Amino acid sequence: MTRETLGEFEHQIMLAILQQGGEAYSVSIVEELEQRTGREIAQAAVFIVLRRLEDKGLLTSRLDERASHDTGRVRRYFKPTPEALRRLKHSRDTYIRLWDGIETTLEKA
Amino acid sequence: MLRDQSTKEGTGPLPRTARLLLYVLLKRADRRAVINDLSELYGRRLELHGEVAARAWLRRQLITYPRRLMVERLRRMFPGKGGNGAVRSAGSARASVIYSLVRDLRHSARSLARSPMIAATIVLTVGLGIGATAAIFSAVNAVLIQPLPYSNPDELVRIFTESPPHRWPISVADYRALEEQQTSFVSIAGYDNSTVTFNRGDVAERVSGKFVTWDYFSLLGVTPFRGRVFNESDGKPESKATVVISHSFWSRHLGGDVRALGQSIQLDGNDYMVVGILPRTVGPFEQGRDFFVAVEWQHPPRRGPFFITAIARVNAGTDRSVASEELRAINKRIFPVWQDSYQDQGASWGMMDLKDVVVGDVGTTEMLVLGAVVFLLLIASNNAANLLLARTTQRSRELVVRAALGASRGRLMQHMLSESALLALGGALVGVFVMYGGIRLLTTTGADFIPRAQEIGVDERVLLFLAVVTLISGLLFGLIPSLTGVKLRLERALRVGGRSATDAAGPRRIRRVLVASQFAIATPLLIGAGLLISSLARLQNVDPGFDTDNILVAGLSLPETAYPERDDVQAFWPQVVDRVEALPGVESVVLGDALPPTRVNMINNFNLEDKPTAPGQSEPATPWVAVTLGYFTALGIDVVEGRPFNELDHGDAPPVVVVDQAWANRFFPDESVVGKRFVSGGCTTCPLSTIVGVVSDVKYVGLDDPGTGTVYWPMSQGTKRFVFLLVKTHSDPMVVLPTLKNAVRELDSSLPLSNVTTIDESIANSLQAPRYLTALAAAFAVVALLLSVIGVYGVMSHHVQQHTKDIGIRIALGGGPSKVLGSVVWQGLRLALVGVALGTAGTFYLTRFMASMLFGVGTMDVITFCSVAAVMLGVALVACLLPAHRAASVDPVSTLREE
Repeated sequence: MTRETLGEFEHQIMLAILQQGGEAYSVSIVEELEQRTGREIAQAAVFIVLRRLEDKGLLTSRLDERASHDTGRVRRYFKPTPEALRRLKHSRDTYIRLWDGIETTLEKA
Repeated sequence: MLRDQSTKEGTGPLPRTARLLLYVLLKRADRRAVINDLSELYGRRLELHGEVAARAWLRRQLITYPRRLMVERLRRMFPGKGGNGAVRSAGSARASVIYSLVRDLRHSARSLARSPMIAATIVLTVGLGIGATAAIFSAVNAVLIQPLPYSNPDELVRIFTESPPHRWPISVADYRALEEQQTSFVSIAGYDNSTVTFNRGDVAERVSGKFVTWDYFSLLGVTPFRGRVFNESDGKPESKATVVISHSFWSRHLGGDVRALGQSIQLDGNDYMVVGILPRTVGPFEQGRDFFVAVEWQHPPRRGPFFITAIARVNAGTDRSVASEELRAINKRIFPVWQDSYQDQGASWGMMDLKDVVVGDVGTTEMLVLGAVVFLLLIASNNAANLLLARTTQRSRELVVRAALGASRGRLMQHMLSESALLALGGALVGVFVMYGGIRLLTTTGADFIPRAQEIGVDERVLLFLAVVTLISGLLFGLIPSLTGVKLRLERALRVGGRSATDAAGPRRIRRVLVASQFAIATPLLIGAGLLISSLARLQNVDPGFDTDNILVAGLSLPETAYPERDDVQAFWPQVVDRVEALPGVESVVLGDALPPTRVNMINNFNLEDKPTAPGQSEPATPWVAVTLGYFTALGIDVVEGRPFNELDHGDAPPVVVVDQAWANRFFPDESVVGKRFVSGGCTTCPLSTIVGVVSDVKYVGLDDPGTGTVYWPMSQGTKRFVFLLVKTHSDPMVVLPTLKNAVRELDSSLPLSNVTTIDESIANSLQAPRYLTALAAAFAVVALLLSVIGVYGVMSHHVQQHTKDIGIRIALGGGPSKVLGSVVWQGLRLALVGVALGTAGTFYLTRFMASMLFGVGTMDVITFCSVAAVMLGVALVACLLPAHRAASVDPVSTLREE
């Protein structure tokens, strides 16, 4: 199977989910990303990418019925699949190897 | 409680339009989650950054959605390298359709850009039609379709006394009996509209409101903005007097401060504690009312007077007919109890839906206006079809080449329809602007004539209507040219270099049918407008029956707290007259409790001594006007028989009245009425009133009223707390106003003047509604005529252009230019003639619905019908003359040389 690389935003969303404890819905992802990147994030972009990642088999989702009972709100929670975790790990390892030894150069800049 | 339910649980604070947009954009599976998530984010921003910032954020989010979704969909349809294979294969078939559609749209946009005039004309005219239709529909929606903004509005009814054809309110005795004996209603509440004087510091202002039974608000299901509505303890004689105020009164007079709750305000000299403030948006029964005072009416000594408007909520399971039956039964049961003071056995109680009470007879007018704008839209679409058809015939060669190169019929259709889709979309965009402008116009200028005008706005139903109207209009003007375009025959098109394809008989015939039908549709609009115009002209020429020049009018009211006794009231009015009459510029001043041409405060029944009403029958009733001495002279009303009132008609003298000629002719057509006597108000113990004079007719209940008679009685023989001062001046009446105000203030500084106007103004105001309607109809008619003329001009110009060669040959063979001119004009005029003839026939059927709006002119008015037809044909003639003239001046030599 050809392995499609993750886009930058897709990558960020995956990480935001993991920061949220491994499962999150669009509101918490938007807030996590806004807090960590310092810029406004379009909820539309987040939700669309979440659905795309789900189609790619990198996320699974479930409707939270319990929350619906409590608050009258329905939330769709997303969770990375083992394949996604493998890819994230792979990408992290690659980046670490690439970064190795150039931090000092950047710090001078 | 009212329409804004945006904070309903589960939907969050997201505005309705935002939810609607998302609903349309998103797949069903995603809708709830996305709307909830966005709602949650929006809610947090509202809390953190305030409404302005949150709304700006939401706008950015909402703009992003359609763009992102579009990009995502295209991405799935045309996956680039490394795309997901499964998605690609599933979407490929759909993708090719969408791809070709996108290509068609782009191509259409380019091709329309090459004929900007045609595109702009279509987009603007169709847009105007769509927008106007949607705006009028939004009014119909607010008035006729939307339920009243009360809880379970279908259960609400009004109860009234009825003796067909008359309906009037109920009395305290009636209300008590209903309350005690009924079983069909959850509850019954009553109210009495009233205007009182509000005093606060130096401010003395007349404010209008309602005296209501304590359960008025709970029956309607009205919840207050702050504080509470009334409960059972309010309105009792022993409890503190309480008032609920409107949001606007609260902002205007109490500074919008919540501490106003619990404070007292003074109305007509009495203190009332403010217990509640109504929301800004209220239902039609609270609209325009500043205060609501809780009352409990005391047990009456007799059956009348009838001043309570009763509203009720029917029990959920109770059938309307059962409830009506019960009303009649209770009425019958209490009749003997009050027979001493009330003998009208013919009258009973009836009920009608509260919504019908609000809508009144506006429903018919609104549906007619909606019909008129739909006609207008039809004409605009028709016009667009005509223009597009002309374009199609011109482009037929291109189409034929496309077909020859393998484009299927469906493909050609799609190509051409995409063009009209683009135009319709442009029309819809223009339409949205026109709609909002129209709604603004309706709510600002029409507020006085359209009930529930404040509720007119855009909701899901209006948007859906706009979409459907756009679709229908687009299909109307898109299908005909597309079908025609596809039908063009290949061989015929390629056979010769020009005309035979571009002016095929089919399209030509269709274009002529379109023009004729434009005229046919425009005819009823023009005739309708013509009828309204001549009706308005007649109304404006109605003689109100008195001298209207230089009369200033001001209302003045004496509260019971300051003027408790009859003598106090009787003593005050002559002082006002003396003071005002002494002012510079004042010729004379008289008082009356009615204001012609539309305001009469009392309609009274009476029983003639010579012609008593048969037992069990309803007594006749006519307007009853209280006046001071000199009233007839000051207003130029002629005394035609007997005498006017004089000083001898004081409170202790036998009661006297003066009637007008209409009254005299109605009840005593063949004899003199002077000296005749009657007893009034259903009172059996009161002394008889004697008629001492007859005066000329004056319009008190509308200029269009045929006049059923008026009775005048001297104010000195009763107690009138509210009167109009009618001040006759030497010159411009408004100049006197400041000194008039001073004079009244010097007598009693707590008395404000209300309803300040001039008689001329009040006559003009009474014509405002018909004038508004006429202006609207005239505007529609002008646009309709203009579009039809453009249509016939377009067809004839095209005809001349296409037939230049034939015309050249005709002229070369000796056919004179005048013959050519005549022939072209006749061809165009024939279309208009057929259209107008068909339209007129249809109008005979349609104008009958206008009967209630017309005054002094029949729905089949021959003059209007003929003059409208003449105008339409005349204008069509002018429109045809231009191309005809062009045809007649064709130079045969140069035309034939081109061959």
